[in-house]
Formats: sequence, C-alpha cells, structure tokens
Amino acid sequence: MSTGCDELAELLRWYPAAWRERYGDELVALMQDVVGDRQPSFRFKLSVAWAGLRERIYGAGLVGDQPPVEQARTGSLLVLCAWTAFVLAGMSFSKVSEHYSYALPPSLRALPQSAFKSVAGLGIIGASLVALGALATLPAFVRFIRNGGWTSIRGHVLRAAALTAITAGALVPLSLWAHHLDLRQRNGGDGLYSAAIGLWALLVAVTLAQWTASGVAAVRRIDLPRGVLRFEATLAIAVAVAMVLVTGAAGLWWGAMAHDAPWFLQGTAPGTSPSPFTLQLVMTLTLMLTAVLTAAYGVARITRSLGGLKQASM
Amino acid sequence: MLILTSLAAGSKHGHALAKDIKEFAGVSLGPGALYGAITRLEERGLIEALESEDRRRPYRITGAGSAALVEVVRDMHQIADVGATRLGLTLA
Repeated sequence: MSTGCDELAELLRWYPAAWRERYGDELVALMQDVVGDRQPSFRFKLSVAWAGLRERIYGAGLVGDQPPVEQARTGSLLVLCAWTAFVLAGMSFSKVSEHYSYALPPSLRALPQSAFKSVAGLGIIGASLVALGALATLPAFVRFIRNGGWTSIRGHVLRAAALTAITAGALVPLSLWAHHLDLRQRNGGDGLYSAAIGLWALLVAVTLAQWTASGVAAVRRIDLPRGVLRFEATLAIAVAVAMVLVTGAAGLWWGAMAHDAPWFLQGTAPGTSPSPFTLQLVMTLTLMLTAVLTAAYGVARITRSLGGLKQASM
Repeated sequence: MLILTSLAAGSKHGHALAKDIKEFAGVSLGPGALYGAITRLEERGLIEALESEDRRRPYRITGAGSAALVEVVRDMHQIADVGATRLGLTLA
C-alpha cells in the first residue's frame, strides 16, 4: 500500500471496531476514488474523523433513534458518569468549605449553614440512590458473571482494583507526613505537601473514573429485565434532580460567603474584601454544572424511552 | 432521500452514488457523510449490500426503501403542488 493509502486507512481508527469490520474496506476504497493521487486535505481528513466520532457516539447509544431499552440504559449510564464527576466536585467543595463557620459571626451563619447542610444531605441521598441502583442490578450481574461475562470486564475491574490499592497505599505515607506538619503547612503552607495532596486527589479521580468505566462496561453487557431497567431509569432521574439541588445549594453557600466573609474564600485577613471568585471554587462549580448538564441529557434520553419501555414490558 | 433516489435508478457503489447525487441534486457528500447515511439506511432495511469481488461494494434499494421513497416523494409532490398553486406557477 502507498503512503497515501496508509494515511487514508489510518483515518479508520476514528470509527468503532465493529463498524470498521463491516464498512472499513469500502470506505477506504471510496476515499481512494475521491482523493486519487493527491494528498488528502486537512479538511477532508477532518470530515472523515468527525464522521467516525459521530459513528462512535451513535454506537454508544448517545444519539439517534435507538430502541427504548438502549435509550434507557444509555441515559441511566450517562447520569452515573455525571454522578462520578459530581462526587469529585463535591470532594473539592468539601475541602474549600472546611471550617467555614468559624469565619462567620453566629448571627450570619444561618443561610450558609442551611445551604451547606443541604449540599451534604442531598449528596448523601444521591449516593444512597446510586448504591440502591447498583444493588438492583446485582442479581443480573451475578447471572452475567456465572455465564462467563467476567472475561469481558476483567481488564476494567483489575485496573480499577489496582488503582484502588495504589490510592489507598499512598494515603499511609501522606498521613504520616501530615502528622509532622502544623495546620498552616497542611493548608497550603508547604508547597511539596500540597503538590503531593494534589497528585493524590488526581489519583482518587482516576480511580473513581475507572470504577465507573467498569460499571458502564458491565451494565452495557448485562441483559437487565425491563422492570429493573425502569427502576434504574427512575433512580437516575432522582439522582439528576438531587444533583441540580446540590448545585443550587452550593451556589447559595458561595453567594452567602461572598457577601458575608469573602476573605474566607481567598484566605486573606478577616475584614478584607477580596474577589470571591477563587480558582478552586470556579472549577468546582463548573464541574458541578457540567455534570448537571450531562445528567440532564441522560434524563432526556430516559424520558424519550419510558413510553416504549412500558409497552415492551406489558 | 438522496441515496434512495439515486439507488432507485439501479444499484451503485459509494463513488458512483456520490457522483450521481452531485449530478442530480448538486450536493457533494464526503465519504464520511455518505457512509454514515449508508450505515443508517442499511440498519433500517431500506437498502442492502450486494456481493462484490472487490472492495467497492454496490448497494441496492429494498422493497421497504422503495416504499419509504414513494411516501416521501408523494409528500413533497403534494407540498410542491400547494406551493405552485399559491404562487400561480405551472409545474411541468
């Protein structure tokens, strides 16, 4: 094959494997017919790559008129992925808001405290709903494993388990290190320690993402009974609602703190008026909003599927 | 619609389809867009692949594809008729 032909065949990597298997040769032949002896332009390559990505998105059930069962499954999984991002944002929020009440006189604590308690309470409700969803899939998961499904998810699960071991293992030296530091050093005063904590937080994020990927890989392969799928879809909608409320409460907490104690947000001297827009809070709220939007898209997929799902189970 | 219309005149492979569509509709379909549409049409049973010895596999319209095309053409014809009447045009 010539270099040009290799270059065209390389573009197939943007497509899902099953699609490549069925249409790959034909597409390369067509691209050769269209391009001829010329070098494919950047625009040409971009259009093929984009078509390949669209095929991947379609194959994952994220767009298009998929059967109701697939729409409900994909929608629920999208909410689960959004929830994982939301948990990370929640961890960041919990760090930012640590000891916030000491920065406020008792007369000004009511609003931020209510908002903070709402974030915490709704977060627990969301986590319980996700756990309930996982429990509901357990019988189907056990059947899946008994029927030889383990081999198809083994890689995902082993990677997640290894990351968990590394993350937990890294906590031990970090804790020992923290014992030798004072409060100021533990809260940003020691650059090396802060960098290590940042790396560890990244490790936690990757571990959570890998467990989510394992869950997604399993659920996409499990044949869930219609009733269970409807239950999962309903739970996913409830989780998405909890995420919206948590984001609102976190925004309210931020607003209240920005009004009454902006120095707490920036870590400056009490009584000063710095900008309440700290990088960590902006990133945290942005992540929350992104997760909410992703979950909303998942809910839209679920809502479209519910009628068909009900008919299919009758 | 463009692909079904092209295949209504006989089976064609990808490149012939793209050329024919460009000719009768003035629309340039890139390889990615064309094969995206072919994938969806084949999934829905509106077209089918024919056996081929080389990589340029031809496609033909199915009975369901013809029925779908007839329906679309009738709808468009009806809309065109209403538009022409309201504009006082005579369509050939």
